[in-house]
Amino acid sequence: MREWRLLALLALEIAVFSFTALNFFTVGNAAEVARLSGEVGLLALAQTCVIITGGIDLSAGSMMGLCAIVFGVLWHDAGLSIGLSILATLGLGALGGFFNAFLITRLRALPLIVTLGTLSLYRGMAEGITEGVRNFSGFPQSFLSFGQGFWFGFLPPQAILLGVAAVLFWLLLQRSVIGRGLSAIGYSPEGARYAGIPVRARLSLVYTLSGLTASVAAIVYVAHLGQAKSDAGTGYELMAITAAVLGGTSIFGGSGSIAGTLLGLLSIVLLQNGLRLSDKPAELAGVLTGVLLIAAIGMGQFSKLFKDERITDGIEMKNSQVAVLSTVIIAAALLVAGSNWWMVRSLVRESPRGTHKPVVALMPKAKGDPYFVSCRQGAEEAARELGVDLLWDGPTDLDPAKQNEVVEGWITRGVDTIAVSVENSEGISTVLRKARAKGIKVLTWDADAQADARDFFINQATQQGIGYALADEIARLLHGQGSFAVVTASLSAANQNEWMKHIKARLADKYPKIKLAAIRPSDGDRDRAFSETQTILRVYPDVKVIAAIAAPAVPGAAEAVKQSGRSDVKVTGLSLPNMCKPYVHAGIIESVVLWKTRDLGYLTVQAAKAMYDGVLRPGVTSIPAGRLGNVEVRGDNVMLGAPFFFTKQNIDQFDF
Amino acid sequence: MIRANSISKSYMGVCALRDVSFELRPGEVHALVGENGAGKSTLIKIFTGATSMDSGSIEIEGRRIEQNSPAKAKGLGIAAIYQHPALFPDLSVSENLALRLDDLSPWRTVNWTEHRKRAVSLLAQIGAQIDPDAEVHSLSMPEQQLVEIACAVGAEAKIVIMDEPTASLPARETEALFRTIGSLRSRGVGVIYISHRLEELPRIADRVTVLRDGCSIKTKLISEIDHSSLIRMMVGRDLTSIFPKRDIPIGNIVLETRRLGCQEAGIHDVNLTVRAGEIVGLAGLVGSGRTELAKILFGLTPAGHGEILLNGTPREIRSPQEAIRLGIAYVPEDRPRHGVIPAMSVAQNTSLATLQAVSRAGLLDYRLENNLAASFAAKLGTRLSSVFAPVSSLSGGNQQKVALSRWLATNPKILILDEPTQGIDVGAKAEVHRLIVNLAAKGMAILMISSELPEILGMSDRVAVMSSGTIAAILDRRDATQDGILSLCLHGNVARA
Amino acid sequence: MIQRYSREISTGVALLGLLAVLLFAAPSFFRPANLRELLIGNAALLIAAIGMTLVILTGHIDISIGSQFAIASVVMGLLAKEGASTAAAAAGGIAAAAVLGAMNGILVAGLGIPSIVVTLASMIALRNALRWATEGKWVQDLPATFQWAGLGQAGGEALILILTGTVFAAFAWASCNLQAIRLLYATGSSPEAARLAGIRPPRVFFFVFMGMGVLTGLAAALNTIRFSEVQGNAGIGLELQAIAAVVVGGASIAGGRATLPGTLLGVLLLATIGPALTFAGINAFWEKAIQGSIILAAVVMNARGKSAHA
Repeated sequence: MREWRLLALLALEIAVFSFTALNFFTVGNAAEVARLSGEVGLLALAQTCVIITGGIDLSAGSMMGLCAIVFGVLWHDAGLSIGLSILATLGLGALGGFFNAFLITRLRALPLIVTLGTLSLYRGMAEGITEGVRNFSGFPQSFLSFGQGFWFGFLPPQAILLGVAAVLFWLLLQRSVIGRGLSAIGYSPEGARYAGIPVRARLSLVYTLSGLTASVAAIVYVAHLGQAKSDAGTGYELMAITAAVLGGTSIFGGSGSIAGTLLGLLSIVLLQNGLRLSDKPAELAGVLTGVLLIAAIGMGQFSKLFKDERITDGIEMKNSQVAVLSTVIIAAALLVAGSNWWMVRSLVRESPRGTHKPVVALMPKAKGDPYFVSCRQGAEEAARELGVDLLWDGPTDLDPAKQNEVVEGWITRGVDTIAVSVENSEGISTVLRKARAKGIKVLTWDADAQADARDFFINQATQQGIGYALADEIARLLHGQGSFAVVTASLSAANQNEWMKHIKARLADKYPKIKLAAIRPSDGDRDRAFSETQTILRVYPDVKVIAAIAAPAVPGAAEAVKQSGRSDVKVTGLSLPNMCKPYVHAGIIESVVLWKTRDLGYLTVQAAKAMYDGVLRPGVTSIPAGRLGNVEVRGDNVMLGAPFFFTKQNIDQFDF
Repeated sequence: MIRANSISKSYMGVCALRDVSFELRPGEVHALVGENGAGKSTLIKIFTGATSMDSGSIEIEGRRIEQNSPAKAKGLGIAAIYQHPALFPDLSVSENLALRLDDLSPWRTVNWTEHRKRAVSLLAQIGAQIDPDAEVHSLSMPEQQLVEIACAVGAEAKIVIMDEPTASLPARETEALFRTIGSLRSRGVGVIYISHRLEELPRIADRVTVLRDGCSIKTKLISEIDHSSLIRMMVGRDLTSIFPKRDIPIGNIVLETRRLGCQEAGIHDVNLTVRAGEIVGLAGLVGSGRTELAKILFGLTPAGHGEILLNGTPREIRSPQEAIRLGIAYVPEDRPRHGVIPAMSVAQNTSLATLQAVSRAGLLDYRLENNLAASFAAKLGTRLSSVFAPVSSLSGGNQQKVALSRWLATNPKILILDEPTQGIDVGAKAEVHRLIVNLAAKGMAILMISSELPEILGMSDRVAVMSSGTIAAILDRRDATQDGILSLCLHGNVARA
Repeated sequence: MIQRYSREISTGVALLGLLAVLLFAAPSFFRPANLRELLIGNAALLIAAIGMTLVILTGHIDISIGSQFAIASVVMGLLAKEGASTAAAAAGGIAAAAVLGAMNGILVAGLGIPSIVVTLASMIALRNALRWATEGKWVQDLPATFQWAGLGQAGGEALILILTGTVFAAFAWASCNLQAIRLLYATGSSPEAARLAGIRPPRVFFFVFMGMGVLTGLAAALNTIRFSEVQGNAGIGLELQAIAAVVVGGASIAGGRATLPGTLLGVLLLATIGPALTFAGINAFWEKAIQGSIILAAVVMNARGKSAHA
């Protein structure tokens, strides 16, 4: 029943997006959808088994983070071969899963709470091991190709892995003796025990398997992004659970199917993909996912409410039917896609330049971040002036995997220029190279990718420049000696860690009398920055400067200083003028270091158009950029200029 | 006070009540008797609003009730003691009483001292020694039953319904309960009293109504009717004719226990033998340790001391898996919770204990599985629309047959049956009995736990009577009488001494 | 007595142990100003945890409160910007969260969808809807009287402490003495017995989810007035913090067992860990791992308590 509904939903999604989304219905897009559902898909398969036993595993995403880190440590620090590292990582995943199982079966504690605890524990261990800062990259190409390449020319390895895993899980869950036991346990743990099913052993198996699968997903994730970081897989467990539940797995346990989970996963992923290609906001996908979930489960409940107590044993759809039907749909889709491909491509290519407005796609690191919101204003201003179509899309939270996904979407959609503010240079460079190979002009802005992955970098100020400027400002405020503390974004934030590196280097070099008392995380949350600053002020009374290096952290720190009444403490950092204005005027924030973000967005779009027109090409030393006048080009860097200091005197001139 | 006219009710196509009429007068103790599954519990659930009726009408205190609900029944002065106590396990005794007795409007404040005082007095009134501050989950089953009784007394209800209140009560508390019922009656309260202990009825009841197969057979003054005619009315035919007991050659000892016990389960010093082809009936009150003993034999509860011998070899049985491997099968008492998995299909339930047999290389072979289920359905005469139908769609008797087929499929040498005919209708009952006899004829050793004495008497070669955690006596078929077994059940230790 | 409240007592002992260590390692932790900041900083969490206690008490769970919190904050900011007084704006924010809570309640009580599914869906949908609407913008340029409800810092802080204290005291009193809350205990302990006793469990569930919304709104209001601007993505992870605090405080996630003093201890324990690490000079990297270990320790302790009286 549920499978039919999902198939109908999928058909509807495909039908709608075929009309609204550019190049949705192509082989290339199908391959990308498959690649991007790899990690979550693996987790969802394992999660289906867990949920069928009436449990839940919230720790899967965190396990991914821990496994990614341990894999990196083993390969990079311990010098193990890739193969051995993978083996050891898989072992760790199984061990982590078994730890969950142990607590659940031996202590008879509820899975929800146990895995809530290990959700914190595993992520915390990943952060602890790396001290948040370290991450691992530079993996050999043969390993990376597993996450980034294609097999047989068009099949991403993830698709094959997911397919194999799906078959294995299907065999385990729906065809094997063990799977039958799992389902019995889900319906009635007591009943299963009375039937001679080894309940504890089966539950241990399921949670261990979930941990193991998370470690496989972690390896895939690292190969995909080329970088092992402690934040790998954040929130993936919720997506996996959503897919499984949408696919008809009962959260009470007992019923559910692998086919359903795959369909559930596919309907969520296609929704995201289709909406992106239709240039609809990514948030809409989230809203619709929630609504779908309620609708799907609610419909089942609703029909149950209005049914007689009698249970109709009617239309139980068999898995073979689902399989046949899915195959038919996929085959038909491929067929249509194949025939359309030529047509669409020729249409796109042949459209004459004159009537075709250039499409510039701009990606921030995180859409909701006020910093990027202000960049967007500038970008839109330039887009209006130049008459280009501006696409603005990106992850809603910092999520490197999502960035790849968006770029893939744009490649599929066929935009003219892509400009990315890079979260993870290893990871994104592969897709950017791919975009270039397809003839798309590629820029990076705000943060750079690998040099051969893009044509130009819009350089607002180098990481070193920012770090040095901040260090100098701190030294100025401390009059050359004393101690200060830093409130950063999250402990694993790449940019912040880079800046910290340069700040420390500069201090060691030029200001030996200045001491860094503490670094505290704010997770990009103003309120957290506030309370961390309060604590810093209490613990380190001699700290006289708080350097907050995330946009929301500066007003948070400033408010804490204001409320403490400590007029001897000053706040500085990287933030936006609007957020900080009241505190700058009150004299709590001495200065905010930043470039003119609005201009950064403006310049990026200007440069993109210049590239499209052929004005910006290798060798030029300057380009005209609208109201910014002529802007210097240094090598492959388009220079916005040095960091800007917003102070009491000039801050009111800026509105972003 | 209550007048019910031609009430009918069916569950999932199985008729539980057909055209039942019933009447209760003030100051009367009206006994309601009938076999398990005769519809007594359904009838009282309709009175208390716990379930709805399909047709018919109820008048309570002269007012016609259209839509009954627990809250409404409570308002009308009906209090009920269910067979399974409907208490709040995490809350204290006195609060449980309060929630059942007081107005539940949300904005009232709770007067704890008042609650406690009332709890103390109510518990004293029924002669129970229970700490009013104890949380209910820490009480034993009989103690919980007493709390239920205190609820009913405290409700100052005009109508009190008691569903087997004495089933698990020790003798002293039973006496106290009878006194309580007497005082209720003298206050003009109408009591509906359901019991299997027919011998207690003359002491307390005024009238008796017999239910059989969902129909009300007759209502009579208790003084007009004697024990045996009452049983005849309940059963509908003579006892001997319904049990297909055959004489079967008894073989060697298959199962033997020596001083078997388990501290936590309250079992001690059980010495018992079961031979091939023999049916040993295990009688005893609820709470006497019958089910606990079965659970030890099946590896669900680890044995604390003593030993189990199978075919003369001492064995340790640590889990149901091991028990199955050793040829032991256990059809548990609580069918929907333990016996079958209601949401799963007949085929899936049938194969659950023998999954290896219907699979190849660990993968299930659906054809084998369906054949297995179909063949057992045919052998046992299970009526079902298809082997894919969920077990919950079957009637109680057919569910029990599915539970049985699961265990027969394991080809056991020892079959433990726990209340094999509880809650199934008379026709199905006879079929199950015939099945059991046939199994014994094939040389299976059968240990049959039952609360129904006629069943025990009619089916067993020997009867073991359990009382307070151990075997009080083992009687031969010829020596066993209903009265004898009952007095052993009630006063096991005395009888042994 | 000791047996019955063993979970709360063990949480209390853990808290005392932590404080004892701090007494030696970092006596400056106990400066009144620091304790005051700690309390004010966790007032919102405590209020949300009170609501979560009630939800968990009935055997349900609500993982959407983080999203509700953010929406209530933004609604409050927008109302204040339109010129509403802080009190009126707070009322608006609370009303918005109450509506969202009621929506959860309808889906759980009316359609019988498992609460974890309902609130998982509303968590995702609401957070995304808010992001879509605000595009991550903060609500800025609020009237000067918005912060501290125009009472100034000392007055505002007193207001937060008094309000939180009152709400906690009221619920702690009510959880022992008010029939309404006792009905939650009863329903969570056994919905079937509750039904037979004449309680209507679906209504109880509806009201408890709506009540959760109201308390989330109040938490958002108390948090928001500490600042002069409203950020758009507040409350991420609030649900996990609240659930963790309730469970560490000794509640049974299966329902029927929880106490508000326990929840208070849970909030205090979890809230003390972070600053305690800073005071003790331990760096932040292991903080999450330590929090996870504390939750697991509580789970282990609860499990041992369970087997003790089983």
